[in-house]
Amino acid sequence: MDVVQLQRQLVDYKASLYNEAILDEQFTQLQELQDENNPDFVVEVVSLFFEDSERLLNELTKALEQQNIDFKRVDAHVHQLKGSSSSIGAQRVQKVCIAFRNCCEEQNVQGCLICLQQVKNEYSLVKTKLETMFKLEQQILAAGGSIPV
Amino acid sequence: MAAMQRVAQSSVSTSAAATSNYGGSSSFRGVETVISDQFPAGLRVLVVDDDITCLRIVEHMLRRCLYNVTTCSQAKVALNLLRERKGSFDVILSDVYMPDMDVMSADGRTSAVMKGIRHGACDYLIKPIREEELKNIWQHVVRKKWNENKELEHSGSLDDNDRHKRGIDDAEYASSVNDGTDVSLKSQKKRSITKEEEEENENDDPSSSKKPRVVWSVELHQQFVSAVNQLGIDKAVPKRILELMNVPGLTRENVASHLQKFRLYLKRISGVAQQGGIGNPLCGPVEPNVKIGSLGRFDIQALAASGQIPPQTFAALHAELLGRPTGNLVTAMDQPALLQASLQGPKCIPVEHGVAFGQPLPSCLVVPSQSSASFQAGNSPASVNQNGSFNKTAVIDYSLLSPQSNNSSLNIGQVTDGDLQTTGILSGYIPPASISPSVSSCSINADNCSSQQLQNSSMTFKASRQLPIVHSLPDVQGSYGAIKPGEVLDQAPFANLGYNDKGTCLPTRFAVDEFQSLMGSSSRGKIFAENIGTRVKQEPNMEFVDNSRVGIPMLQQFPPNELMSVFTE
Repeated sequence: MDVVQLQRQLVDYKASLYNEAILDEQFTQLQELQDENNPDFVVEVVSLFFEDSERLLNELTKALEQQNIDFKRVDAHVHQLKGSSSSIGAQRVQKVCIAFRNCCEEQNVQGCLICLQQVKNEYSLVKTKLETMFKLEQQILAAGGSIPV
Repeated sequence: MAAMQRVAQSSVSTSAAATSNYGGSSSFRGVETVISDQFPAGLRVLVVDDDITCLRIVEHMLRRCLYNVTTCSQAKVALNLLRERKGSFDVILSDVYMPDMDVMSADGRTSAVMKGIRHGACDYLIKPIREEELKNIWQHVVRKKWNENKELEHSGSLDDNDRHKRGIDDAEYASSVNDGTDVSLKSQKKRSITKEEEEENENDDPSSSKKPRVVWSVELHQQFVSAVNQLGIDKAVPKRILELMNVPGLTRENVASHLQKFRLYLKRISGVAQQGGIGNPLCGPVEPNVKIGSLGRFDIQALAASGQIPPQTFAALHAELLGRPTGNLVTAMDQPALLQASLQGPKCIPVEHGVAFGQPLPSCLVVPSQSSASFQAGNSPASVNQNGSFNKTAVIDYSLLSPQSNNSSLNIGQVTDGDLQTTGILSGYIPPASISPSVSSCSINADNCSSQQLQNSSMTFKASRQLPIVHSLPDVQGSYGAIKPGEVLDQAPFANLGYNDKGTCLPTRFAVDEFQSLMGSSSRGKIFAENIGTRVKQEPNMEFVDNSRVGIPMLQQFPPNELMSVFTE
């Protein structure tokens, strides 16, 4: 594939992420923060997000497996996940977190478990999508093209 | 990744790397250096957040603002750091779920915000944090300093004399840009020496002996108003009000001060009504010998002219005009549509009359006279100070926009100072906006004789609306109250009322006696607070001492082009 085609593909792909509400304008902001001094800023931050999210999801899974669930603790984890997902614009993850916190507040175990599954799904989705996007970008760069804004 | 490693290794990472990237000062050794010529570049910010993603993003944003950033992912480490390096940070941004240091959080719930504010936070940013919000955090430092100065003034310290003297000296120069800069240098240095740096850690540090701030939040003010109503305005005395309010920690002095402002406000409102909105009855003759110009204004000019304001700041101005909050430190949302409205509205050329009145004048924030309801006056247009020419006519227009502008009051004051031959007009358009009935009036005007202290506020609604407008009035000879320096010093700034929308209540973000009216509407977990406020404050001490501080913040309030044009007048 030539560069132009790849570039077009990337543009379309990104657009689909916004259309499907996987990402929101916060991600756009993030991209705008990337400058010549920090050319890999987006990838760096998103990697941090992946890392942290996985840790949090593990913690949540463990916490919800307990006999006596510490809802405060669960809530704190979800809160953090909400914060980090909103910071990178992973809005579907963020939205599930909101519902998740409500379940925590109600101490609704079943609700929490459902939310946990949902948040895992959304996380996987955004992760896959972002990785695909980064791969496309790399291909474009490797082919000597520039990333379309 | 780098950030994370840093955090992992030491839990704290500090960097002053931003400068070299932007061609700023080559040395970041001391904040003084940086602050002197590039404030707020070099502002020392400590960011504490256990969310490494946010931490990294915020760090990066702060660097782009040329701040000197230290990050820390553990509250405990941050606290230790603060104790060990007391005085080495100007601002602390902390995640709200870290004990005692509440500033930044994804929790947009009102209760959480309130809690943060009550614990001494002077701002509350909702994640995701936006770069624009961080560009303005230095205001807290400035504001805090102002408040400290006010306290000094009240205590009648020797500094007062120095300030006046300096003010007079300054007025003797015809006001060149350079003079202004010099002053700002001085004051900046002074500031960096005397300032108690930490913004937030009063709670953490037992050795701190600062007075607790009283934030007259909407709630608190409502309590106050209902107490006053219960007693009757004539019979309301601080002690009784305090008893009725029954708020722990609130002192009689706090109430007395607030009551005074409240009375002045009422007086002004009634005065305006009687006068048909023209002429400010509260103003009497200006005493000629107080013709001290505040050179603060120059700072802006100087900074702008000399390019000392980072380009980003200017860029930010544009961005902020686009419906983002700034000038007054508000977390706001992006509302491009609104932006448009405001940009297209007729502009009111702000003019400031610093010296004009022959008294230490406050910085004036002027708002465009016409704009959509959601226009954010705080960040937009303009206030300009002109010190240079004494023969100018200064017009200050306040336009307060409010969707529900019933009972709008027009407040116009004008002053002529014979000595200086300057004429100023203050015209305020202050439609009370009322959302919550008990907080219906939207502005409190603290002027008593010396008048030019107006702080207006209004709220914004998402719906964009063309509002009525402000006009500049022809010159009218106004009578301003005789002002003696001492009196001026006693004037406290005003309080504005905060408003809330849909139950989202944002307390005012300013400490002590300044109120901001904030309107928050929450959606999607964010709080968008927009602040429309024009204010003219009379804070004489700033004029003399902290000129730079008076000037700089205003800068944020105008778009570059206006700034330039006005200044070069």
